[in-house]
Amino acid sequence: MALDCTSLTKLTLVLCVAACGFPPVSGCSDAYGRAIPPLSSCSDAYGRAISDFCVTKFTLDMKALDQSLWCSWSDTFQPYEELTNCTYSVAHKMHCFWPNQQIDELFIRLHRDYFHDCALTGRLLRDPPIRILGPFIGVPVLVTLLMTALVVWSGKCCQGIV
Amino acid sequence: MQRRCFHSESSFVCCVWLYVAGGAGLYCNRTWDGWLCWDDTPAGTVTWQNCPNYFPDFDSTEKATKICSESGQWFRHPDTNRTWSNYTLCNFHTTGKLKMAYILYYMAIVGHALSIASLLISLAIFFYFRNLSCQRITLHKNLFVSYVLNSALTLIYLIAVVNNPDVVGRNPVGCKVLHFFHMYMLGCNYFWMLCEGIYLHTLIVVAVFAEEQHLHWYYLLGWGFPLVPASIHAVARKKYFDDNCWMSVETHLLYVVHGPIMAALLVNLFFLLNIVRVLVTKLRDTHRAESNMYMKAVRATLILVPLLGIQFVIFPWRPENRLAGEVYDYIMHILMHYQGLLVATIFCFFNGEVQAALKRQWIQYKAQWGQRRRDHCSMRSTSYTATSITEVPAFMYHHDCNSEHLNGRHTSEDSELVALKTGETYA
Repeated sequence: MALDCTSLTKLTLVLCVAACGFPPVSGCSDAYGRAIPPLSSCSDAYGRAISDFCVTKFTLDMKALDQSLWCSWSDTFQPYEELTNCTYSVAHKMHCFWPNQQIDELFIRLHRDYFHDCALTGRLLRDPPIRILGPFIGVPVLVTLLMTALVVWSGKCCQGIV
Repeated sequence: MQRRCFHSESSFVCCVWLYVAGGAGLYCNRTWDGWLCWDDTPAGTVTWQNCPNYFPDFDSTEKATKICSESGQWFRHPDTNRTWSNYTLCNFHTTGKLKMAYILYYMAIVGHALSIASLLISLAIFFYFRNLSCQRITLHKNLFVSYVLNSALTLIYLIAVVNNPDVVGRNPVGCKVLHFFHMYMLGCNYFWMLCEGIYLHTLIVVAVFAEEQHLHWYYLLGWGFPLVPASIHAVARKKYFDDNCWMSVETHLLYVVHGPIMAALLVNLFFLLNIVRVLVTKLRDTHRAESNMYMKAVRATLILVPLLGIQFVIFPWRPENRLAGEVYDYIMHILMHYQGLLVATIFCFFNGEVQAALKRQWIQYKAQWGQRRRDHCSMRSTSYTATSITEVPAFMYHHDCNSEHLNGRHTSEDSELVALKTGETYA
């Protein structure tokens, strides 16, 4: 019985979402409209549901994104929020608590896979390294000194010339 | 917990980092308290970090603290029994600091307005009294024009951008263009001071017999060259530190503009000291009159260059103490924003020839007005005044420009100058 409910729920959910986005929450019901009592534990079913539906999309989105942008909040914000909303909706439909242990484990796994080397300070503006900063500062100073020498030399060379 | 990750980039990063595996030992776990991310902290310590800038009255130079108790748990507030971080210092002094910031802001505006007024008066004086004109006055005029433009641009920048957070938030291209021109005019100021120094140096030390120098090179150095550091700064800023309106001063990229300016100031100081050395050693014994004359020409520039440059020397060292820091801020603002007034005063209002010319004009005007009054009162029989123009005593002249006329005239007075020339000329 429990297995039937699970597979029916999954099928209903997938069909519904495929057809019309996120349908309004109405509870866990089977294809015949009979109300199914809520699952007492949401461990396996829920884990499978979000893994098949939500995480797949997230993985595809992140793959489409260039790996160098994975630490960029403005670029990864969209798939991340969709994933979170998706897990929330699935939990709500399956009458599961949200967040729960599956969610924590899922996010730990995803963060380790995608965000393990992001800097703690994020993408705060910081100065370029010294090998770039040096020439940027040194060249104008040198050109200043050269220009000054040029002006002094022109004054010296033109003495006596009216 | 994941919902809280979307407040801002910092919260997202913190959430990311929270899930990475942690260390061992008795410590309070890394956590996100809703505003800031707190690292693993050893038990029994107090950790701190800079306040966030989420709120307008939070000062991001102040510190937020969080206590990790001996048992490895974060401090819980006694009233609510929930973990609590101490953000009270972030907005504690804000009203006082805001007031002082406004005082400094208005001081800057007044300084630049006074500078523009005094510089325009000086320019009017220089253009009106044509007999004052000589090459050095031409350089003064260019210097004053660059100071007027710099003050005008700074005023526009302060009023339109600095005092206007929504403009900064919108980050239009116009405010970056304004910043570029601001950097350009700043460079022009200091490079025109350098031109003055080079001119005096060429006049006195290098080419004593030069009838008239070609000013093209000076125009190039004063107006043309500052485009170079300003453009390089714009490119570097756009590529590496593209913050809103380029307002931040926390970047070393500002040295792209300030570096050449400091180089120009140092070179200028060096030239002026060399001039003083030449005047003192070569002319001291036998040519006291000319020495005094040249000294007077140099004195004004020699006073100004250190005054203009000192802000760059003391700028990096802001005292930590609150009161000393406030005094420092006031002094720095006066040095930075009242420079135009200082330049106009020293180069124009304290100039002896200008004072003489003004006095003559005033006496002439008074005499004419007196004459008109006498005519009006129909008392033509007696003449009250023998002369209408009083001779100004010769000692009031400061020979600012006369040195050039001396150079041009080939009279017997040239013998001293010949002696100077046949000595070493500075190479």
